[in-house]
Amino acid sequence: MRRLDPSAASNLGGLSVPLIVRDWKIVVAAVLGLATHAAGAADTVINPPPEAKDWSALANLPDWSGVWTPNVTDQQRRIQTDPVPWNKAAAAQIAKLVAAEQRGDPAGLFVNCLPESMPTWMLITHNALEFLFTPGRVTILGESDGNRLRRIYTDGRRHPADPDPTFHGHSIGHWENDTLVVDTVGILPEAYLAVSEAVGIPNNGDLHVIERIRLDKPDVLRDDLEIIAPRVLTKPWKTSRFLFRQRARKYDIVEGVCLQGNYSEGKDANGNAVFVPVPQSEGGNYLPPAEDSGKK
Amino acid sequence: MMNYRSAPMLCAMSLLATLAWIAPVAAHHSFAMFDFSKSMTAKGTVTEFRWTNPHVALLVQLDPQPGTPPEVWSLELTSPGNLTRGGWTRHSFKPGDRVELEFNPLRDGKHGGAFNKATFLDTGQVISSNLRAAEKPGLE
Repeated sequence: MRRLDPSAASNLGGLSVPLIVRDWKIVVAAVLGLATHAAGAADTVINPPPEAKDWSALANLPDWSGVWTPNVTDQQRRIQTDPVPWNKAAAAQIAKLVAAEQRGDPAGLFVNCLPESMPTWMLITHNALEFLFTPGRVTILGESDGNRLRRIYTDGRRHPADPDPTFHGHSIGHWENDTLVVDTVGILPEAYLAVSEAVGIPNNGDLHVIERIRLDKPDVLRDDLEIIAPRVLTKPWKTSRFLFRQRARKYDIVEGVCLQGNYSEGKDANGNAVFVPVPQSEGGNYLPPAEDSGKK
Repeated sequence: MMNYRSAPMLCAMSLLATLAWIAPVAAHHSFAMFDFSKSMTAKGTVTEFRWTNPHVALLVQLDPQPGTPPEVWSLELTSPGNLTRGGWTRHSFKPGDRVELEFNPLRDGKHGGAFNKATFLDTGQVISSNLRAAEKPGLE
């Protein structure tokens, strides 16, 4: 069975159709779909093709074009001004990580190059990001780590009943005037809730993030986050992050693959260009060749 | 000058790298291992400039001090993307460049640091890195 989205649908005689049918072509498509797949058992949901009016409607959205660079100083300041309501068990772990960071022996939460994940990407990134608006979706693409990508569905769908957990979760959004309200669930329990690259613990499950993203000033974007993490927090953590708009072409996002940093460029015995592992410390910083590495 | 791009040295370096590799993989890390309360200055010769994500690396053989052998130090920077916006390119340094460096050393005494500034001794040109300088909109 094929079913059309938006997911607000009623079932009429075995054929699922949207409650508000805006276009007869959708109904025809649905009937054809029924005919084609009458024998099929799966409930396949079809995303309707965007039409000219859907593309033109994008012009009514606020202009978030350009490249956005984070206010890193404010990220760090807000750890003090918007303290994380860690529960007792989490607070004890965080205190140890803060002490380790302060004595210069930071934990390497992200040295394995797995994604910073949601919501930590939004909280601690030092790298630029950009927004793409297409019909029914807002896509956030980040620089660095190769896989920094959020797909926010704005087509009216709901979250899946039982989403496969992922690093960035399942996000649905809607516009309230010029504010994009995003709801994210389905985040891997192993994903860190972190306030720096060295201080954070796994969210341990049931993480839910609500964001309100809007232009705070013409070239400053504000993300108000409400982070509901019942396994590690005593109450929802509310904080904000800010991004600055850049339009100079040198700010265009470039490719960044985290694991590339583990290698330098070299040649193998056949003269092929190959990646050669480079020495690094446990904390992730580069070291010179072993004979020069200083204090052992 | 040691040139680590030469093939025999690369093979040796690869072996040493494997032996020296403590963590299975390591990148994208905190900078808390660097002591930002200390600033070191040293002259030396660039041996390698790695223009890679997530952190660019500059390897420099420091001029030997009396009674000490030559030492290669590894200095870290932010990402190529962030550096590009500060006017850097992957050709900003090349092996053989004579430089005076200013950096914050590793706290554990190993030969590494966080790069602040370099002056090219031949030309007097200064190149620096400061991510915080980009915290405003509409930069050119």
